[in-house]
Amino acid sequence: MNLKQGIALMSSVLAFGLATEAGAVCTQTAASNADRALWNTHGCWQDFFLWQYQAYGLRSGDWSNRGWNDACNVNLEFPKHWNASYLLTYGMADNLSQSFHGTSDYRATAEARSSKFHDSLYHSITDRTDVFGTFTPRFWPWDTDRVETACPLYNPTVSNSNPGSRAGDYMHEGWHAYFDKYNFNNGNTGGHRPGPQGACTINGCDYFYFHGIGAYAFGAMWENNGTASRFHSPNQVQVEFLCDVADQSQWWIPLSVRQTAAADANGRAASRFINGPGYTCGSPRPW
Amino acid sequence: MQRNKWRVFSRTGTIVVTLGLMSGSVAVAQDRPTSEKPSDIPPSRVIAGRVLHSPPKLDAADARKSVNAFITWAGESIVEEQNDARRALASAAKQPALIQAFTEDILESHKSGDTSRALVGLGLLGEMRTYDGAKFLVEFVRMPLPDKGTVIEGELQEEAQQARLQAKAIAGVAYLRDPEFDREVMNQAGAHPSVIVRAEAISAFLWNRGDTLEARKELEPFVRKEERLFLDRVRRVSGEGADAFNRKLTAYLKAHPEVQAPNPEPKEPRPPEEKPNTFDVTPPKF
Repeated sequence: MNLKQGIALMSSVLAFGLATEAGAVCTQTAASNADRALWNTHGCWQDFFLWQYQAYGLRSGDWSNRGWNDACNVNLEFPKHWNASYLLTYGMADNLSQSFHGTSDYRATAEARSSKFHDSLYHSITDRTDVFGTFTPRFWPWDTDRVETACPLYNPTVSNSNPGSRAGDYMHEGWHAYFDKYNFNNGNTGGHRPGPQGACTINGCDYFYFHGIGAYAFGAMWENNGTASRFHSPNQVQVEFLCDVADQSQWWIPLSVRQTAAADANGRAASRFINGPGYTCGSPRPW
Repeated sequence: MQRNKWRVFSRTGTIVVTLGLMSGSVAVAQDRPTSEKPSDIPPSRVIAGRVLHSPPKLDAADARKSVNAFITWAGESIVEEQNDARRALASAAKQPALIQAFTEDILESHKSGDTSRALVGLGLLGEMRTYDGAKFLVEFVRMPLPDKGTVIEGELQEEAQQARLQAKAIAGVAYLRDPEFDREVMNQAGAHPSVIVRAEAISAFLWNRGDTLEARKELEPFVRKEERLFLDRVRRVSGEGADAFNRKLTAYLKAHPEVQAPNPEPKEPRPPEEKPNTFDVTPPKF
């Protein structure tokens, strides 16, 4: 055991001690209009949440006071988590001539399974309010990468507490895992480049690697050639997913889910890219 | 005695092993999420059971209540029902009490933090294309942005949240296609403190003018010099085929070679994972 590993072990022991003391949760009093609208399309489908917790590698201890044993209470974090998974698992139209990417891309990015998209990961949750989510690479070779989603994706008074934005964060964090799999460095500001710079107005910026519709076959979003001509950044994957929810989702997806996804996509595309804004999507017609 | 002793040990051992296995199975059972009243009906059947094309009536005599129900319905409605909403809004546009009720519901949702409901309300009000509605939307766009709250990645969340709503509001103002309100849109395209709103003002102004060269020329002087790129920004529209989108993208990249991103940077590889997750079960049938 080297010094770094020793420190990590001690930190883990300490963190475990603290974790057992901590009992805080996110705000559990309500769910957003968009969350409820999507929820009403399944009415708490048991077969799905019993599949989802395995597909996302959820660990009961992480979610025990967050709806693990109350999985049909949409005000709680676990039900909101699987509601977002439901959206990306069944809600995409997969239109070859119009969608940026397909369900197979979005599922592989979000789910725990080791694939061409990333090494194995598992989804956990944190009470932090200063991030939407985090990606923590494994320290030990036998350990597993961790994606944590945070309270701003669950607290009903925050605009990102909706199924599209939450699933969009699964894309974002999953794409940090992709960078680790293919050994790309996206900067040291939380896995992004420092900002503001260029057209990026926040402090964690990405580049947008523009590509046309049909440039990637469905299931091939992971492909890269090591150059800017075939590549994606975390915010870009998130924007493309949100745009597909807004414009290319299944006919039964509620309009509030589409509209919140478009608002997130357009806000993000205007403010998070160094080399100018990403695509805009969703209709400029108000309704 | 020896035999009895052995029997006692053997039975005790059996009990201990059995209890151990039982507690193990209990632990496994507890590891699965549970719920008191889950549904075993697949969503395809839930969705098939939903009655479409029946928006709640917008009634000026009971404006607040009926608008509240209408916004809730609209949030759950689907693309196929968009025209139902538009028809109902066109006739409600003649009733000032209903417009007032929409504005009150929007402010209430905004105040309570339910952005997704406020977005729906703003969209519906913009779609009504009324002078009073547009006046409210202008006031909404001009509301000062919050300067305190939670910062995520250098972005004040309360500010971003309001800006997203103001972006929806400015789209409604532009949709009126009225010279007086268009001036407001053009001003906000350069003057609004949030890039999210400025970007939407530019996109909405151009779209409502058919993306013509004249519209672009009219708007350009209002747009900040460093944001002129937004005038050419590629818009993906629902229903647009790959050819049309790709043509726009090619033209954009040709006109703006400066948006070409640099090549990604490599980093030190990490050791391969030792225990890959191989869970590959197909999700339940929809």
